[in-house]
Amino acid sequence: MRNNHRSIVTMLAMAFACAMMIVFSSLMEGFVAGSELNIVSMNTGDIQIHQPSYLDDPDIYQQIEQSLALVTAIRQAGFKASERMFAYGLMASDQSSSGVQLRGIDLQYETSVTDINQHIQRGTWLAKSDPHGVVIGKKLARLLDVSVGSELIFVGQTADGYMANDRFHVNGILKSVSSAIDNTGVIMSNLILQDLISLPDGAHEITIMRTDRSTDLALAVATIDDIVTDDLEILNWQQLMPVISQFLETAQIQTLIMLLFTYIAVASVVLNAMLMSVFERIHQFGIMKALGVRPWQLIRIIYTETFIQTLIASLLGLFIGTGITWYFEKNGLDLSSMSDGFSFSGLALDPIWYATLSIKSLFVPVVFLFVIAALAVLYPALKAAVIRPVDAIHYH
Amino acid sequence: MNLNTLAWRNLWRHKRRTLITASSIAFGVLLAVTFTGAGDYFYTRMIDAGANMGMGHISIMAPDYNRAPSSKKRLQQANQHKLAVEQLDNVKSVASRVQGQAMFASARKSIGGVFFAIDPEQENSDNNLFIKAMVEGEMLSSASGSSIVLGIELAKRLKLKIGKKVVYTTTDNRGDIVSAIARISGLFETGSDEIDGSVAVLPLHKVQQVLGYQKDEVSVLAVILSDQRHSDQLRDKMQAMAEFSDTEVLNWQQTQPDLAGMIAVDKSANRIGQLLIALLVAAGILNTMLMSVLERRHEFGVMIAVGMSPKNLFLLVMFESFWLAVLGLIIGVIVTTPWFLYMSQTGLDLTSAYGDDFSFGGVLIDPIFKLRLFSESIIAILIGLFGLTLLSGAYPAWQAGRVVPVESLKTL
Amino acid sequence: MSHKLLVITLLASQLIFMTLGTAETDSSEQILRVKALLNEVDDLWRGNSSYAITSMQVKTEHYTRTMRMEGWSKGKEHTLFRIMEPLREKGTATLKSGNHIYTYLPKTDRTIKLTTGMMMGSWMGSHLTNDDLVKEARLEDDYEATISFEGERNGQDIIEFTLIPKLDAAVVWGKVTLTILAVSHTPVVEYYFDEDMLLTRTISFTDIKMLGGRERPSVLKVVPADKPDEYTQFIYEQLKFDLELKDRIFSLSNLKKR
Repeated sequence: MRNNHRSIVTMLAMAFACAMMIVFSSLMEGFVAGSELNIVSMNTGDIQIHQPSYLDDPDIYQQIEQSLALVTAIRQAGFKASERMFAYGLMASDQSSSGVQLRGIDLQYETSVTDINQHIQRGTWLAKSDPHGVVIGKKLARLLDVSVGSELIFVGQTADGYMANDRFHVNGILKSVSSAIDNTGVIMSNLILQDLISLPDGAHEITIMRTDRSTDLALAVATIDDIVTDDLEILNWQQLMPVISQFLETAQIQTLIMLLFTYIAVASVVLNAMLMSVFERIHQFGIMKALGVRPWQLIRIIYTETFIQTLIASLLGLFIGTGITWYFEKNGLDLSSMSDGFSFSGLALDPIWYATLSIKSLFVPVVFLFVIAALAVLYPALKAAVIRPVDAIHYH
Repeated sequence: MNLNTLAWRNLWRHKRRTLITASSIAFGVLLAVTFTGAGDYFYTRMIDAGANMGMGHISIMAPDYNRAPSSKKRLQQANQHKLAVEQLDNVKSVASRVQGQAMFASARKSIGGVFFAIDPEQENSDNNLFIKAMVEGEMLSSASGSSIVLGIELAKRLKLKIGKKVVYTTTDNRGDIVSAIARISGLFETGSDEIDGSVAVLPLHKVQQVLGYQKDEVSVLAVILSDQRHSDQLRDKMQAMAEFSDTEVLNWQQTQPDLAGMIAVDKSANRIGQLLIALLVAAGILNTMLMSVLERRHEFGVMIAVGMSPKNLFLLVMFESFWLAVLGLIIGVIVTTPWFLYMSQTGLDLTSAYGDDFSFGGVLIDPIFKLRLFSESIIAILIGLFGLTLLSGAYPAWQAGRVVPVESLKTL
Repeated sequence: MSHKLLVITLLASQLIFMTLGTAETDSSEQILRVKALLNEVDDLWRGNSSYAITSMQVKTEHYTRTMRMEGWSKGKEHTLFRIMEPLREKGTATLKSGNHIYTYLPKTDRTIKLTTGMMMGSWMGSHLTNDDLVKEARLEDDYEATISFEGERNGQDIIEFTLIPKLDAAVVWGKVTLTILAVSHTPVVEYYFDEDMLLTRTISFTDIKMLGGRERPSVLKVVPADKPDEYTQFIYEQLKFDLELKDRIFSLSNLKKR
């Protein structure tokens, strides 16, 4: 291999392109996978169970009977599950009042299923020792003009027709979670809610998360369906949030388009490098032909050199690319300096962009590199094979 | 012989290589225009749509209203302020609005929601989303009178149609509960169930009457600009003016922080994408220039031996980069223009993929992918790529200058 | 709240006064007389004060409950009532003073002001809304009353009035019809229709007793048209008129008294 400088420069260019592809693919994959996890683990969970008519018309009387037994059985089957109760009424602060949705959660199990407790903007999460502390939505706090520590009075109706009222205080205010929770959400312990509304036992909603999120969602739903004996409605997160689900699908397409553009840009670099690398040496090849090297031998030589160059470049690219991606996998690209949370179709997302290293994000760029290099060299190699030595020596 | 011309000729000695490299620059132009154009179009649309949804690009309101909205806080001497705003440059329209929360009731049901009280003479479909989204009946005809325009979902849930009456209950300027009656004159459909199910549009003067406001008191003056990019400057300017000292002047980033956050994040993602592409293009150029320099060492050695200064060699290669950049940009412009023209006129309709309920940062928008470039953006792209090319050529040029004649003659 | 029923009853009595002199069948004169009588009754109405003890029974699909309360009223502007039974709600009181409505909740020892969000909520779990409570004083301002039927129906001699809401009245109903007995002028039944003239709710008046110096129906039953198995029933145990009521009864501090 003559002219080391040339080869080195070419290989470096290719290695760089390869590394960029890896980083970019991983970021794109991380975005989609991360967004899904983000959205699902914020509040919805993978799967939810309700009484069949509950979602259309949330009635406090539509409870899931024996929900504790059901939830225990689901946990035993290897899932994370938690019970929730809901009621509607009015919350009054010093300055104003507003209609709210009380969300009674299981203090013990809720945080194993969702990570809503990490989305507190001001104040703290609920504590068992503080039963009258509540966590409220961001916009609700603004509407009621309250801050951490403010007192709230709840007025509503109990299940047996009496007036439900009690005093609460604001423990924490959430960051943006979802439109409904931001505007009307008041989170408290479900035991307190049960007491307040005189509700018998029985959750309105069971929310479930797969322990291993790479397992098939449909399979998980089927497993749960087997456990459930009553006529209950089991929905997965895509059915619960069709708009978000669609958005994620389209986001995937968008990332593919972005990747496509990147690959095209990479291809142009590699083509550039390889084409020139061979064309510059037509002169040299001409001499070799004159000395008796056969055409097909020449092609083989060119392809072997190309292969070796690409191999070195891809190894280097893998090394650098994986290194950078690994960093972004652990730490993520922190976009929070831009905003403290942002929303898409009513759902809030975390502004830290994580990359995901996967077989796909490593394998495809490398393969692509080889393919492009091979294609790039095809034309000049054939030319070199075919050209007459005399022309080659004078080739420019 | 002048260096410049020599540089140009040098390029054409290696037609293929030059064209290949110029193409990658051209491709860079295409990508940069696509990325930036998508951004320019999308963000401006978002911001304008957000402004039309209620608060304008700049909002003038009573102090503390934004933090904790209430009917008690009202902007006084609205007309005076309005006149002052209209004097300023870049202001397209100013609309007086009263807004608040209310319960809307029919005989069958009552539902909580929000009302916007407008003066139909001040507003039109350009600056008001609800006027634009009318699907049935008519918009309010005057700022007085007892008409109401409901979102289509709200009307459905109340089980009401056009011509039927709605009783709305809200709190007045003293915090007391007041009710009034209105007849549905029309329905709007924005596509967002949330908005269509909770928003109503009422006549401004009637609502002022109901709430006990003076004719000159409003909740907000919504200012629409002809170019949303100036909202920061204009807000700062207005804040300093004496006419607005009794008010709070905010721009859309402050009244719609969700939207602002989304745009900021998307912008940075966009930038990162463009950065990567730029790096790739730079790599390609560097590769080419370096190769071309390396193999001309013999040539350069001869030139130095014959008396050319290293500085001139450096300049020569830099000029080559320069011409390469020019060539690349020209090809780039030729290739990109038809693409840009198509995308800016027609664009890609992604409604089938996204559905018509698409909202971004809380603002409803049609998912049509188009391009648009501000003149500043175009200049930025051209200068950026130009500079990138020159920068990439710097190292090879420097290498050229460092050639030692004797050493170089050894190479062949 | 009991005041509202008081008013329905009293409105009925106003209409009764209206018809007392109606021997003529000439409609235009009748309309003039109706107006004149309304004004007269309006004056009569002002300055009235009352005290009542009522028990309320609510039956819904999910529960049946009973409550007992006492109420005071003075003119149109002041109303106070307080729950006596059951024990867990004892002391809960609502005060309407001018345009402000306050509710005192003994369990939390807090007084809250009624806001728009609460308006359409059912009052105390019954089939009446807080809005009904607020609107009561404007009944006569909001409707045009005419006699739509006079004669025999279901074995009773009755007079039926049709009340159509005035154009700018903030009232959701399309029409209200009130039927009273022709002789004693006590109300029999009241129908509420929506704008499409579909029946939405029915209030029936039964169990005539001597209350507050004359024969009145002591049981009022509210039945929603879409859930005919449910009802809210008010039973008047005691009713007194024209008492000496001090203004300070209708103050916030008095609200908290148990």
